[in-house]
Amino acid sequence: MADDSSHDDGPVQGRRGFLGQASNFAMAAGLVGGYGAFGAVAARYLYPARPDTGSWQFVADLARLGVGDSLRYQAPGGETVNITRRARDGVAEDFIALSSTCPHLGCQVHWEDANQRYFCPCHNGVFDSAGVGTAGPPGDAGQTLPRYPLRVDGNLLFIRVPTARLVADAASSGRVIDDDCASAPGHDPCLSPLARPPRDGELG
Amino acid sequence: MSAIAQWFQDCLPVSPEVIREMTNEPVPNHMKRWWFALGGTPAYLFVIQIITGILLAFYYETSTGSAYASVRYITEEAAFGWYLRSVHKWAATLMIAAVVLHQMRVYFTGAYRKPREINWIIGMFLLLCTLTLGFTGYSLVFEQLSFWGATVGANMADSVPVIGGFVKNLMLAGETYNSRTLSRFFVLHAAVLPVALIGLLVVHIMIIRLQGVTEFKFKDEDESKPKTFSFFPDHMYTELMLGLFLMILLSALATIFPASMGPEADPLTTPEVIKPEWFFYVVFRWLKLFPGTFAILSTGFVVFIMFTWPFIDAQIRKRTRFQEASVWIGIVGVLAIIALTMWEALVAH
Amino acid sequence: MTLETKRWIIGAMGGLFLVSLVLVQWLETTRRAEEAGLRPASVSAPASSVACVDCHAQANPGIVDHWEGSTHAEKGVGCVECHTAESVEPDAFEHYGQSIATIVTPRDCSRCHVEESAEFEASHHSKAGNILASLDNFLAETVEGSREDFNPHSPTPGRSFDMVNGLASAQSGCQQCHGAKVALQSTDGSLITVDELAPDENGVPTNQAILASIVKDANGRPMFDTGTWPNTGIGRLNLDGSAGSCTACHSRHDFSPRRARQPENCGQCHLGPDHPQKEIYEESKHGIAYRDLKDDMNLNATDWVLGADYSAAPTCATCHMSGNLRNGGKITHDPGERISWTNRPPVSVAMDTDINHAIVKTDDPDERRALTVDSWEDKRNRMKDVCSHCHSPDYVNSFYAQYDDFVVLYNEKFAKPGQAIMAVLADTGTRSPTQFDEEIEWTWFYLWHHEGRRARHGASMMAPDYAHWHGMYEVAERFYMELIPQAREMADHAGGAARTEINRVINDILSRPEHVWFEEGAAEQSARIREEMERRYGQGGERDGNNF
Repeated sequence: MADDSSHDDGPVQGRRGFLGQASNFAMAAGLVGGYGAFGAVAARYLYPARPDTGSWQFVADLARLGVGDSLRYQAPGGETVNITRRARDGVAEDFIALSSTCPHLGCQVHWEDANQRYFCPCHNGVFDSAGVGTAGPPGDAGQTLPRYPLRVDGNLLFIRVPTARLVADAASSGRVIDDDCASAPGHDPCLSPLARPPRDGELG
Repeated sequence: MSAIAQWFQDCLPVSPEVIREMTNEPVPNHMKRWWFALGGTPAYLFVIQIITGILLAFYYETSTGSAYASVRYITEEAAFGWYLRSVHKWAATLMIAAVVLHQMRVYFTGAYRKPREINWIIGMFLLLCTLTLGFTGYSLVFEQLSFWGATVGANMADSVPVIGGFVKNLMLAGETYNSRTLSRFFVLHAAVLPVALIGLLVVHIMIIRLQGVTEFKFKDEDESKPKTFSFFPDHMYTELMLGLFLMILLSALATIFPASMGPEADPLTTPEVIKPEWFFYVVFRWLKLFPGTFAILSTGFVVFIMFTWPFIDAQIRKRTRFQEASVWIGIVGVLAIIALTMWEALVAH
Repeated sequence: MTLETKRWIIGAMGGLFLVSLVLVQWLETTRRAEEAGLRPASVSAPASSVACVDCHAQANPGIVDHWEGSTHAEKGVGCVECHTAESVEPDAFEHYGQSIATIVTPRDCSRCHVEESAEFEASHHSKAGNILASLDNFLAETVEGSREDFNPHSPTPGRSFDMVNGLASAQSGCQQCHGAKVALQSTDGSLITVDELAPDENGVPTNQAILASIVKDANGRPMFDTGTWPNTGIGRLNLDGSAGSCTACHSRHDFSPRRARQPENCGQCHLGPDHPQKEIYEESKHGIAYRDLKDDMNLNATDWVLGADYSAAPTCATCHMSGNLRNGGKITHDPGERISWTNRPPVSVAMDTDINHAIVKTDDPDERRALTVDSWEDKRNRMKDVCSHCHSPDYVNSFYAQYDDFVVLYNEKFAKPGQAIMAVLADTGTRSPTQFDEEIEWTWFYLWHHEGRRARHGASMMAPDYAHWHGMYEVAERFYMELIPQAREMADHAGGAARTEINRVINDILSRPEHVWFEEGAAEQSARIREEMERRYGQGGERDGNNF
């Protein structure tokens, strides 16, 4: 393109060789640098603003859990965490907090009481009560259910869980799910008035 | 190398020579003067609007419940979100300013005259497209002025005889601003209007290329020199410089005057001071000066005159001795616009 | 311009663009860092209270939610700032590394709110806890309950109670408004109050020995006597020697001035048969205007100055406490500053107050002048400042003439005579010193404490139905139909000199012109009423006993 003739192209020929090349380079560098930086800004903008490192959330008084007891905790994101107490030393290591997210491809496992195992419906993954994979893809790969860090402060138990939520204005903190009767906003599931199917005409 | 070049040649049977021939049109010498580059400026700004607009749309939500929160997320949470939003806002302002200046240049140099009447009309459509983009754009923030601006705009349309109610309902998707209104503005702003603008722009530039740029002769030009210079690379360098200048200007404006957020839209409270964006000040002041229907119809009449100006001007030149009447009418028009804008800008109500 | 020059310029401008984006990046980083510093968690709690908020947001989200919306939160006043307590304080305890106390007293609030606390301390409000020797207290502790705990007399199926707390009525009733004497449990079963602790002027107990006997729970927290805490009565007697509770009106944990400005807030105590100020206000034009125009009251305003921020209607606070344009927007936390009659006692008293803000009681005019620091007229003028935002001087002065006339009528016709009769019954030994063990003592209590106050309060705040039907009408009925007959009956019963003395007092009263109608009759007036009834309704009202 340098040899494109132009009517007012009139630099001194001797300078033209080196400086001409340099000016080409400077122009290319300026354009790449400027617009490249703008591109980088755009890329950074699209990447999540800050990583969700989670936050410490209160779970329960230590006294609530005896050795061998477990409770279910619902993280702000909706995930269920099983927290089991194994010892009575009053430290975080007494407890394990098992995520319900399958390490294989991220589906939610559920506890099968009859088989005493966690089961993942996506690819038939099976975990024992300690979260160790025993069958299916996680068993083959030797994966376990992820554990969340726990902290004991005084006589209170805290857990560090991700806080990102699917629905923007949902509640911002986690809560313990009552094992016998899951308590949720709205009607108390313990008090289901129609345990039997309604008879004809009963519901109008 | 040659094998790959050959492969490309086979797949895309276009020769570089043809492309060069097509793009490298001789550019008239007057284009070396900066104020003739005002046509390229809005086009360049429009590209910036497309890029930043696409980026903003990644986080924007069109529901009335979450629109404001999502704009706040962009402004306060997303990395560089404030910068991109500010660039988008300032580029819009500059784009409208550039379009208006470009049109004034065309007008005062008489470049709309035969055979360029059609391109003037297309240019008018481009102007309306740009203004509507501005209007729908600030409606999307869903702050107080967005809401009341849209409400006032719709009710202005309503006061047009016969078709007013129809237009208003079409605009708001109902009698009043409702949950389906915002997505309407979004689709107009992010899809319909940009596509229309691109289509019109293509035709606009094609016609310029077919007819050639109007050539001007300035007294200080050397007769012995060629009358044109090549588009590539000479004029392209000029455009690159212009582009970078705009980028630097936009970055400076975005950092010094970043786009802020007013209070969230509240259908129950009209703010004490309600003003549209500056480019609607003219119309807004006009509406306050005259009763509704007259103000709307007179505005429509002025727009109609602007559309048909090439023909009116031709008739004036043909039938009267005032060959330069358009200049004087133009000066009066520009002064009127500046006066009304300043008036609106300087008073509170 | 040559192509080469253009290329150089493009290069340079590209570089400049890059530099401008570097600047943008720098701004972005600064912004992030600032944000991280300002908002370590989702709650912008001050650093001292981040841990409190972390835990209590889940344990007691209501507390944190309230606090988050408060001006305290806005200004960085967190949990520790108010709850902090030095370890020498009797109710202090260690809580996750902070020494705090549960109860925040006016002394704690006064660390920042100096003027407000001083005004409050001077007010009658702060002394509301000193009712130990009052009739009301005797009613609750003895008449309604029992000074001593006693055993239940039969079982409560499903529950097991081995002791009845005789003070329950006083604790849930009287003390929730008046304020409890806050008490800690002692190891010997007794209670530790401000009396035992004898705090010095800094609130630190001088009786340090007693601190060892405070009962503490498993976490080392001093245990309060459940009868005395929870309590936010306005005259609470706190362990640090301060009197009162700011949260009585500025309820925790948002401490909203907005709430204290609304009549419902005062109505938590100022209601009911003995002082229905809330109901009186609701009947008055003031209350009706407020109910209608509440949206125009600008209740969120920072200073809430009458005439500047609002003028739609007055609330209790407007007249008795808040600032107005004429007084330069000065708020007072002593509602007594603008009250010219106290209608609390059996006989209304002019509010001349001495240097200690106590009412001057002496009759001697010179002595009164000497003692009075703030006269009833000073107080009335302060109230007139408020009135005159909406009413002309003539209107205000004439209203006060009506009000004064009413109070004096009540005082002279019923209150002072009633007092004289009750005095002579006591002096002659006809009435025992024990209160409420004789019917006439209930009668007299109803007369002044309930009906007499209703009447005077009704007149003071423009509620005609309370001035008349709930007020003077019942006062009169109580006086003529119960007090006089009961006194005469007691006199008959007593016989002898007592009988003569009592009847002399009663006859003296009833022979006064304003009472003479009762025993000597008012035939002329009855005839006039009958004629009027005849004219209006075509029948004499009195014959069928249905005058109106």
